[in-house]
Amino acid sequence: MNTLDLSRLHPFTLRLLNYAVIAGSVLFCLLLLPTRLPGMEIISISPNWLLIWVVAWSVRRTAVQGAIAGLILGLLQDGMTSPTPTHVVSLAIIGILTARLQKQRYIREDFISIALIVFGMAVLAETIIALQFSWQNFFADSAELRRNLGQIWLYHQRVALSSAILSSLWAPAVYYPLSRWWEQISDLEQPQA
Amino acid sequence: MYALRRWWDRNGLRLGMVSLALIVAWAIRETQGAAVLELYRGLNRPFVGDVPPEQQIENTRILELEQRLVELESQNRQLQELLGYVDTNPSEGVVAPVIGRSADHWWQQVILGRGSRDGIQVGFIVSGNGGIVGRITHVTPNTSRVLLISDPTSQVGVTISRSRFMGYIRGQSANRVVMEFFDKVPDVQPGDVVSTSSYSQLFPPGLPVGIVESVNLNKSPAPEAVVELSVPISSLEWVMVSPNPKMGESSEAVEQGAIDSAGN
Repeated sequence: MNTLDLSRLHPFTLRLLNYAVIAGSVLFCLLLLPTRLPGMEIISISPNWLLIWVVAWSVRRTAVQGAIAGLILGLLQDGMTSPTPTHVVSLAIIGILTARLQKQRYIREDFISIALIVFGMAVLAETIIALQFSWQNFFADSAELRRNLGQIWLYHQRVALSSAILSSLWAPAVYYPLSRWWEQISDLEQPQA
Repeated sequence: MYALRRWWDRNGLRLGMVSLALIVAWAIRETQGAAVLELYRGLNRPFVGDVPPEQQIENTRILELEQRLVELESQNRQLQELLGYVDTNPSEGVVAPVIGRSADHWWQQVILGRGSRDGIQVGFIVSGNGGIVGRITHVTPNTSRVLLISDPTSQVGVTISRSRFMGYIRGQSANRVVMEFFDKVPDVQPGDVVSTSSYSQLFPPGLPVGIVESVNLNKSPAPEAVVELSVPISSLEWVMVSPNPKMGESSEAVEQGAIDSAGN
């Protein structure tokens, strides 16, 4: 039913619609970041929605596309928190790695594997951020940016685990609708190309 | 030329979209998410409870009085020690709802539903039910972002109210902060009240911060105390935003500068 409606659209309109869905889903994830709905937090840590989005995007795309998505979403998350240290590095690396996983060859496409990928990537992302903080700790001239090194890694343990658990549990909520949509789009674009 | 044109026909739109997305993302980063925050506030509005202006003012006034009543009751027993507390407690201010938390767990921030339209400026002091909560770091017309005192980067010069021993607190990302003393053998015991000191360049002196929970005098290089914040930071709903009397003197000042010079 839905597919029929979409196939009647002009290819250009379809593409614009696809861009609108992409932008809209990113905006939705951005607005979810500051909210704390019941069931969405463990020790006041919430899922990393932008990371879930980057993984969902990069799973069926090339490394360059994953890196661009990581770059853009990293800038957005910088805007929502603080520009130093930047989130661009962690999200871009995650975009590249997810794309390089070549999921279709090794892992079956289902929720469990997506949840597993998100789990691993969330731990990796927190580690990269913690490394950036440690780096900053050595080289920052402004005291405002300096954090205690031991404290960073103590906090990292707590954050990485709860963020990974929550993000992987909530990953299907972002991944499923987006992957369904992109499947339909690619089905429609395939015959013409 | 033809090949170039074909490539452009095929990828032009995609290239345009990517550069557009990059420009928008950069703009959002540069404005510190002002547009997103305003939109978030707009969407959040129905849940915050929008009441007519007069009623709203009355409600906030009642809330303010309730807050002050609880604050005064809880602080009453300790007020002999907290000399000068009543005088320095900021009286005029804006009551603001907390509409969001930090967008990343490495920063301890909250987002308030009032902004520059209500007279809030960067550097204003945010206090909750019984003590300081943090400091305004960004303002948009209808929202503002608060850096909580539980954030590891927000270091505040404090003093033990009973014995006047100085130190500074370091956030621990929870309802506890660690206080480091400047002296080797400070006179401090669990239950002591901690308030901001005159060394603090970002907060006026005498504002209540919390209560000492445990003391570790053997800690190197400086003795430490774990301080329980008197405000339940994790369950904040309404806060009071008030002007900062220290703002004019040192808007660019960094806490650490004062701490370093005092510590050496």
